Amino acid sequence: MTDVIKFFTRRQGKKKASLTDWISYGFLFLGFLIIFLPVLWLVMNSVKSQFLLQKYDTNFLPMDYERIARATTYGPDGKDILIMKDLEPWVMFWKNLSDDERAEKDVVNYIKNFSGNEYYALRSHFGLVSVMAKDLILSQNLPDWLIKYPSMFPSAKKEYDPQAIVDSLVDEDARLLSEYLGLKPYKPNGFTAQILVSMMDPQTGELVEYSVSRINPTKDTVNARLVSNPKGGITKLPQNEIIINKNLKPSWINYTDPLTKKALKSFDAVRCLNNSVFVTIVATLITLLINSMAAFALSKYRFNGQVIFFVIILATLMVPASVLIVGIFKMVTMTGLSGSLWGVIIPGAATPTGVFMLRQYMLTIPDELLEAARMDAASEWTIYWRIIFPLALPAIAVLGILSIIWRWNDLILPMIAVSTTKAAYTIQLCLLDFNGEYLAREHYALAMTVVSLVPTTLVFVFLQKYITTGIASTGMK
Amino acid sequence: MANLKLRDIKKSYGKTEVIHGLDLEVLDGEFCVLVGPSGCGKSTLLRMIAGLEAITEGSILINDERVNDVSAAKRGLAMVFQSYALYPHMTVRQNLAFGLENLKLDKDDIEQRINKAANQLRMEDYLKRRPGQLSGGQRQRVAIGRAIVREPSIYLFDEPLSNLDAELRVATRVELKALHARLGNTMIYVTHDQVEAMTMADKIVVMHDGIIEQTGSPLDLYNKPANLFVAGFIGSPKMNFLDCSSLPEEIKKLSPKGATTFGIRPEHLRIQDENTLSLQVKTVEQLGSDSYLYGETIDKQEISIKLNSQTTIKGGESVKVGFSQSDTHWFNEKGASL
Repeated sequence: MTDVIKFFTRRQGKKKASLTDWISYGFLFLGFLIIFLPVLWLVMNSVKSQFLLQKYDTNFLPMDYERIARATTYGPDGKDILIMKDLEPWVMFWKNLSDDERAEKDVVNYIKNFSGNEYYALRSHFGLVSVMAKDLILSQNLPDWLIKYPSMFPSAKKEYDPQAIVDSLVDEDARLLSEYLGLKPYKPNGFTAQILVSMMDPQTGELVEYSVSRINPTKDTVNARLVSNPKGGITKLPQNEIIINKNLKPSWINYTDPLTKKALKSFDAVRCLNNSVFVTIVATLITLLINSMAAFALSKYRFNGQVIFFVIILATLMVPASVLIVGIFKMVTMTGLSGSLWGVIIPGAATPTGVFMLRQYMLTIPDELLEAARMDAASEWTIYWRIIFPLALPAIAVLGILSIIWRWNDLILPMIAVSTTKAAYTIQLCLLDFNGEYLAREHYALAMTVVSLVPTTLVFVFLQKYITTGIASTGMK
Repeated sequence: MANLKLRDIKKSYGKTEVIHGLDLEVLDGEFCVLVGPSGCGKSTLLRMIAGLEAITEGSILINDERVNDVSAAKRGLAMVFQSYALYPHMTVRQNLAFGLENLKLDKDDIEQRINKAANQLRMEDYLKRRPGQLSGGQRQRVAIGRAIVREPSIYLFDEPLSNLDAELRVATRVELKALHARLGNTMIYVTHDQVEAMTMADKIVVMHDGIIEQTGSPLDLYNKPANLFVAGFIGSPKMNFLDCSSLPEEIKKLSPKGATTFGIRPEHLRIQDENTLSLQVKTVEQLGSDSYLYGETIDKQEISIKLNSQTTIKGGESVKVGFSQSDTHWFNEKGASL
C-alpha cells in the first residue's frame, strides 16, 4: 500500500509539485476517467431496477423514485382515475413477478383491505377478475357458455344475452361478471406504477404532490397529475421546480435472479460461465502453444519458404474476420464440430497476430543461447521448452491476456459453431437470451454483463504481475 | 582426452568461400590458439569444429573418427561463448545443470559435478543467483564452469576474454592457463589478441583470409615468422618493415638474395652507431620501465623502437639506431621469409 502511495505521489524531483507534475497527473487522471467511466456507468446501471431502466433514468446512483400507483376504473359512474399511495413494491410490480413469486402472495385476502374503486383496480391488477368470475359461475350454476363468452367472436356473441344474467345477480356479483364479460359500461381497468413528485404551490407556498409517469430530463416540462385530484387532468410542471423524492435502492435481484435461475428458465449462469471458462482456458493454452512453436520456427530456423510462410501468415491479418464467417461455418459443420465447444476452440487457435508478435519478440533472443543449448546436448524440443518459451514469457503473457479477452468476449465464433446447441452456449451467447422479442430484461442483461466482466478483469490483474517479472528476468547482456 | 584433425576443410556461404582448405592437427592435451584479425574465419572454424556450422568440404576427425555428420550435442565438446550465452532465466546452478540434465545423468552425479566445478572456480557464493545479477568476471566463470561440468573431450573457447576489462583479462588468462594445466584436456581457443595467443598457447595457428599462415609454438612464430603477415601480427609493437631498396648500403649488404623487405622488431633496435639507420623521432612514450620511440626514416618509412629503459630523447630529435645481425628478418617479394 505504501508503494502505491509512493507511486502516485512521485514528483519531478522538486519539493513542490511543478506544472509538469500537475499536467502529467491531470492527463493520467483524464485517461483513467475516459477508460473507467463507461465501465463504472455499466456497473451502476446494473443495480438499477427494471422500473428505473424503463424510465431511462440517467442518475449515476441507483436512486429509486418514490412510487405511486395510478389506476383507472370503469363503472356505472363512468371512468375514474385514482391514485394509490403506500402500496408495497410487490404490488406495484406484480406484472414482473414470476409465477412462483405470485403463488407466494395471498392476493385474495390482500385486496380485502381495500374497498370501492381501489378494490376493483387491484382486483384487475392481480388478474383475479377471471378467477373470481369463474368461481361465481360455477357456484351460482350459471350457464357454461359464460366462461367462453369473453373469447368469442362478435358474431357468436350475438346469440347470447349475458345482460339478462347479470341483471339477475346482486350488485357485487353483477359487477364482477360484467367486468369479466366486458359488458358496458365496464372496460378493463388500468394500473400503472408512477413517480411521486412534489412542487411548491406558487400561491399558498404549500407542497403539493403530483404523480408523473416519466421524467425526461431533456424536456423543460413534466406531465403531471395532482395526487389530491387525479381526475383534474394533466398539468405541465416546469422541470426545474419539481422536487423528486429519491432513495438509494440498489436492485440486487438483477444479480440474484439470473444466478439462481429465477430470471429465465433457459438461462443457467453456472453452465454458461463453465462453458466460457472451458473455451477460454483450453483455447488460450492451445493458442499459446501453437503460436509460440510457429514463431520459434519462423524466427530461429532457416528453411526454404520461410519468408513465404511468414508473408502468408501476415497476409491473413488483412482479411476481415467477417469475411471468414461462412468459411468457418462450413469448416465447423463439415468436420462435425458443430454444436461442440471444440468448434469454438479450434478455428481460432492460430492467430496471425500472435505468431507475428511472438516472432518479433523471439528475434531479440540471441542465437548464441540456442547454440549454447545445442552444445549442452539439448534437443530442439528442449531448446523450445526450456530456453525459448521461458525467455519469450513476457510476450507470451501479453498474448495470453489478449487471447483470454478475445475468447471470453467472442460472440461470432460461438454463434457460428454452437448456436443450435443450448447446452454449449458461452456466456456471451447466453446474454443474448435476455433480449427477448416481447420482453425487455435489460436489468438482468446489464447485471450479467458485469458478471461476465469479472473473470477477464481478474485475469488481467494477475497476469499483469507476470509481465513485469518476465521483463525483469531478461538479464541478457 | 582427444585429439583433433582437420582435413582440407572448406566453408562457403553461397558462392563466397570463406575458408579455403585448412589442414590442422591438434594433439591430445594441447592448448591450441587460433589467432588472426577479425574476418579471418577463425570463429567460423571453431563453430565448425563445435558442430554449430555445417562443413562445406573436407572432414573433421575427433580421435580419428569422422564427425562431420555428428550433431553438436553428440560430439562431446563444450564451448565458452564470447557473450557467455548464459541462460538468463536460470540460476547459476541451473545453468550448470542444464547440459547434464540433457545427458540424463542422475541427480547425485549432477550435484557432485556442480559442487566440484563451483569449488574449482570459486563460485559457491553465487550458485543461486541469476546471470543478470553477476559481474562480468563472475559470468565468465559460470560460462567456463558450464563447460567444465560437462567433462568434455575438447574445450572450445570463442574469444572468452574480450568482454572483460584489462586487469581481469590478465588474471583470467592466468587462471585459464592454470585450469588447462590442471585438467590436461585439449583446448582450442580463438582470439584476435596476439598477447593472449603468445601467453597461453602450446600451439598457435595464425589465420588470415581463410587460410593458415603458420602453425607453431609461440616462440617459433616470434623468432621465425614464416611470412610478412605472421611477422607483423605476432609481437607488439609490430615489427618494422623497410623497403630493401631504401636501406643504407651498410645494411643492404647483409641481405640474402631475393630479399625485398627488411624486418626488424622494435625491441631489437638500439641507439648505436653500428648497422645504423638514421631517423627522425616523432613521438616518445614513456612507460617507466620501457620507452617507445616512433619515428620516420629519411624517405618517410615509419619505424618504432622499444627501449628497455627510460630515455631523454625527445620528439623532433634525430637519432641513429642499430641492431645485431641475428635479429634481422628478410622477406622476398611474395612475402615469404628467407
